[in-house]
Amino acid sequence: MAEPYLRVENLQKQFGPFIALGGVDLEIYPGEVHALLGDNGAGKSTLIKTLAGVHQPSGGQIYVEGKPVNFRSPRDASSAGIGTVYQDLALNQLMSITRNFFMGREIKGPLGTLKMDEMNKIAHDEMLKIGIDFSDPTQAVGTMSGGQRQTLAIARAIYFGARVLILDEPTSALGQKQQMEVLKTIKRVRARGDIGIIFITHNEIHSKLVADRFTFLALGKVIGSGTLQELADEDIRKLMAGGAEMADLEQELAAI
Amino acid sequence: MADRSESDRLQQETWLQRTIRRPEIGSFTVMIVIIIALSMASNGKAFNALGLKNNIAIIAQYGIIATGAAMLMIAGEFDLSIGSMIGFAGMSMAMMLKWGLPFGLGEATPFLAFFITLAMTLSIGWVIGTVVVRSGLSSFIVTLAFLFFMRGVTEVSFRLINQSTQISGLPDYKETSWFADLLGGEVFGWFYDLWFALGGNLNRRGEQWVDGFDARFLWWLIIAGGAYFILSRTQIGNWIYATGDNKESARANGVPVNRVKVGLFMFTAFCATMFAACQVFDTNTSDAAKGNLQELFAIAIAVVGGTLMTGGFGSIIGVVFGAITVGLVANAVFFIPTIDGAWFRVFLGGILLAAVFANERIRKRITGGI
Ligand SMILES: Nc1ncnc2c1ncn2[C@@H]1O[C@H](COP(=O)(O)OP(=O)(O)O)[C@@H](O)[C@H]1O
Ligand SMILES: [Mg+2]
Repeated sequence: MAEPYLRVENLQKQFGPFIALGGVDLEIYPGEVHALLGDNGAGKSTLIKTLAGVHQPSGGQIYVEGKPVNFRSPRDASSAGIGTVYQDLALNQLMSITRNFFMGREIKGPLGTLKMDEMNKIAHDEMLKIGIDFSDPTQAVGTMSGGQRQTLAIARAIYFGARVLILDEPTSALGQKQQMEVLKTIKRVRARGDIGIIFITHNEIHSKLVADRFTFLALGKVIGSGTLQELADEDIRKLMAGGAEMADLEQELAAI
Repeated sequence: MADRSESDRLQQETWLQRTIRRPEIGSFTVMIVIIIALSMASNGKAFNALGLKNNIAIIAQYGIIATGAAMLMIAGEFDLSIGSMIGFAGMSMAMMLKWGLPFGLGEATPFLAFFITLAMTLSIGWVIGTVVVRSGLSSFIVTLAFLFFMRGVTEVSFRLINQSTQISGLPDYKETSWFADLLGGEVFGWFYDLWFALGGNLNRRGEQWVDGFDARFLWWLIIAGGAYFILSRTQIGNWIYATGDNKESARANGVPVNRVKVGLFMFTAFCATMFAACQVFDTNTSDAAKGNLQELFAIAIAVVGGTLMTGGFGSIIGVVFGAITVGLVANAVFFIPTIDGAWFRVFLGGILLAAVFANERIRKRITGGI
C-alpha cells in the first residue's frame, strides 16, 4: 500500500477537564475517500479542527508525508495541503462566484488590480472539472443551490493546493438530489487520484456509496476502522450506533 | 435531458433586463424625476450658469462624505462621527492659520495646516476603528461617543485658544497659495468659458457670468472615482465586500478583516477632512457648528444610493445618483422661493424609507429569497 499523505497518531484534545479526543489514530491515502462516522458529540468536528490548525492538540502527533508537523494556525494547515470545507462553507452570499473563489487569495495585476477575466476563467474551469458548468461566474453565490455551493467550496480548496480535503457533513443540510450532486463531486475528486478526502457524515448509505475506508468515533475514541471490504454491513450499522447492538436498542426503545 | 448542463439554466438577459435589475436603477430614476421637476418648477433657473455651480457645490459636499460612509457601510460598519470630524478638521485648520502652528512653531501655511490636520484626523479615525474591532462593540455606539467627544473638543479648543467659537476674516489664501487654491478655488473653467463662447453664461451686462465650479467638484470626482475603482477592480475592494458580507468567512479565507475596517474608518475621516478643507479655503471661515448632522446625510445618501445597511453590498455609482438627488432637493428652496425649506426633510425621510425597502428587496433577490 502507498504511504498515507496524512497520518495521525494517538491524537488527544482536552478542553479543560473535558477529554474531547482520547487518542485517535487515522491514516489518509491519496485517491481514497475516508469516511469519518460517529454520533453527535463523538468528537468528529474536534478532530478535523485539530487537523485544520484551528485547535492545537493536547497530545499525540500529526504527520504529513511521513514528517511530523505542528499547525499553529489554519494557514499552516492549508499550506501543508490540508483543505477544510466547513459546514458553513465560508462563502459570502452577496458576492459573485469568482469573488468568493478567490476571496483572500485574489490574482493581482499592477496596483493591486484584480485580473478579473483570468479569475473568471479559472473559477469556471475548476468548477467544471468537478462537475458544474456555470456560464456566468459573476452570478451571486446567494442564488446557487446548497450542492452547488459545496462544489464551489471544494473546487476552491483543491485549486489552492489541498492534498487532503476535509468535508464536514457536506450532505447533511441538503435535499436528496443535491446530496447526490455532492456525492458525485466527491467521486470526481477521488478519481483524480492525488487527493485524499475525509468525509464526515451521519449517513450510512452515503458513506458506503463513496468511501474506501471507515473510521468510527465514539466518545472521543476510535471504536472501529477498516476498508469497505473488511467491514460487513452489520459491523457498520453497529458501529454507527456507537457500538451498541441493534437488538439492544430495540429492547431499550420497547421498554419506554 | 442528460446532456443539459447548469449553464443552460441561466436565461440570457437582454441589455434592458440587465439594466433594470441593476441596484442603481432606483436612485437613478428618482434623480431623473427630481432633475426634470426642478427644471420645470424653477423655470430652468436651477440649471443656469450660477444655479448649476451652486447645485454642484452642495452635491459635491454630500458626495464626498457619502462616499466614505458608503464604503464603510459596505464593510459592515457605521461612522456617526463624520459631522464632528468635519467641525474638528475645520477648526484645526482655521486655528492654525489664525494663531500659528502648535507649540509656537511659527506661521502655518495652508499646506502645513492641511497636512497636520489630516494627520490628526487620520489618527482619530485609526483610534475609532481600532476601538471598534478590538472591543467588538457596535460601531454605532462607539462612533456616537466620538460624535459628542469631537464636537466638544472642537468647541472647547475654540474657546480656550480663540475666545470665540468662530473664526472669520482670514486672508484669502487662494490668492497666494496654489495649495489653498487647489482646495478652495475654482475648477473646470473651460466648461464655463465654452458655455460663454457658445453665447450663454451671460450676466445682466452681457459679460461672462460664472468662471468655474468649486474645487470640491473635482475632489468629489476624484474620491468617488477612486472608491469606484477600488471597490470594483482591486483586491482591497474584494476584501471590503467580503468583510461586510460575512466577516467570519472572510477571515477564514485569509482576509485581514480588522485592517480593512480600520482603514475604512480612516477613509471616512479623510473624506470629512476634505469636506472641511474645501469649506475653509473657499470661505476663509470656520465655526464650531460646522458639519453638524452631516453624518446622517452621508448615511442617508449611501442608503438611497443602494448601499445595504447590513453590509456586503453597495454601489458608488448609486451613491453619486443619491448625492445628486439629495443635493438638488436641499437647494431647491433657493430656486423655488415659494416652497417651505422644511419639505426637504420630508422628502429625504420619504425616499430614505423607500430606499430601505428597495434595498431589502435587492438583498433578498441576490440571496435567493425571492
Ligand atoms: N471549544 C470547546 N470547548 C469545550 N468543549 C468542546 C469544544 N468543542 C467541542 N467540545 C465538546 O467536545 C465534544 C465533541 O464535540 P464535536 O467534536 O463537535 O462532536 P461531533 O462533531 O462529533 O458532533 C462535545 O461534547 C462538545 O461539547
Ligand atoms: Mg460536528
